[in-house]
Amino acid sequence: MKKIFLFLLVFAFEKVFAQELFVFTEPASNMAAKSLGIRLNNYWMKEKADNKTNYHLLPELMIGISKKVMLHGEIFLSNRNDKFVAEGGSLYLKYRFFSIDDVHSHFRLAALGRYSYNNSSIHQQAIDLFGHNSGYEAGLVATKLINKVAMSAGLSYLHATDNGVEKFIYSNKERNAVYYTLSFGKLMLPKEYTSYNQTNVNLMFEMIGQTNIGNNKTYLDLAPSLQFIFNSRMRFDLGYRFPVVNALSRTADRGAVIKFEYNIFNAF
Amino acid sequence: MKQLILVVAVLITTTLNAQITKATLQASGLTCSMCSNAIYKSLKSVEFVEKVEANIKNSSFELSFKPGSKVDIDQLKEKVEDAGFFVASLTALVELDKITLSNDTHVDIGGSTFHFLNIKDQVADGVIKLKILDKGYVTAKAFKQNSKYTTMECYKTGKASSCCAKGGLTEGSRIYHVTI
Repeated sequence: MKKIFLFLLVFAFEKVFAQELFVFTEPASNMAAKSLGIRLNNYWMKEKADNKTNYHLLPELMIGISKKVMLHGEIFLSNRNDKFVAEGGSLYLKYRFFSIDDVHSHFRLAALGRYSYNNSSIHQQAIDLFGHNSGYEAGLVATKLINKVAMSAGLSYLHATDNGVEKFIYSNKERNAVYYTLSFGKLMLPKEYTSYNQTNVNLMFEMIGQTNIGNNKTYLDLAPSLQFIFNSRMRFDLGYRFPVVNALSRTADRGAVIKFEYNIFNAF
Repeated sequence: MKQLILVVAVLITTTLNAQITKATLQASGLTCSMCSNAIYKSLKSVEFVEKVEANIKNSSFELSFKPGSKVDIDQLKEKVEDAGFFVASLTALVELDKITLSNDTHVDIGGSTFHFLNIKDQVADGVIKLKILDKGYVTAKAFKQNSKYTTMECYKTGKASSCCAKGGLTEGSRIYHVTI
């Protein structure tokens, strides 16, 4: 644990350019108004019980409605229940309501909300609105870019509803959870920016946790990732998440992520 | 009728003689090239902008404007904010033809009203560099500090108030506060 903190300290105070385009979380900053983003989220999660790997594909459309508001829509596809099928979808809205900007730095706050629908069976205590549970999320995220290092912290309230006809199988109190994230990002390459065509390589380190309000159980995951940005408009992310605290049950608690994103500026 | 057209044509040419030709804009709140690209694309979409040259490292953008077009400085600021960022500074190059500039007074240049602050009275001839001092174009601290250069109400809002009406300006019309 000490080593982790030391790593984070070194990470936070090294004077390098940073990125906040995190792989496992969203920053308080929004995409440009009138721009569109298309993202393909791929997750390969290891099932604990039978060692099978579940594949989740979440195509995502992102819309910059205005300079302060953006909307994401996702479709959930997975082979978790043997056949590769669509299981639902989600809408995510983010509103940036506070911003102090200076050259090469900023502090921003945003409020976010998510509604998810999922018709797959409920199979774990942990609430996951990104491909497992129906329900909603309301939260806040703060992002700071200081000394050219990006850090972001998020705090949300999660509420799970029934998954369509699939009832929520735990107690009513366990429908509610607190979700928290902490992210760090650092630009490794290029050493110096000269053009939009340079490939950017970012190293990210994130912590993702959840505490269920009904049973007080927690999980905490560490999630390192590597990100490539091509032509200042295409993103390719490689990540892995694994638990360090694992009391809140999940059937598949570790796995790899690959994301591909393409941005269209001045789209409408 | 011909005479009228001639007069209008002469008037238009006179206005165009004092045109904003270029501007340097520095944006705040970003370090990454994808963010810079968002601003670049946003600025490129402005009708009167001819060319944008980005310096990603300094978050600055060199803008050239189409000859003869009316440059709306506020629109440039809006475009940077649309991309999710802010203007840290903006300087505009203006070609002037023997125009008298006096401290703390309003001057019409290229169809826009400029209020000169902290300058020596002078007759400007040739290209001069104007630094915009309005809210949203400088840091909040600098905006406060610069308030000592004028007592006029228009500084606070960037719009003509009763104090400026004497100069023939309609109340509420845009006034850019600038220095050289």
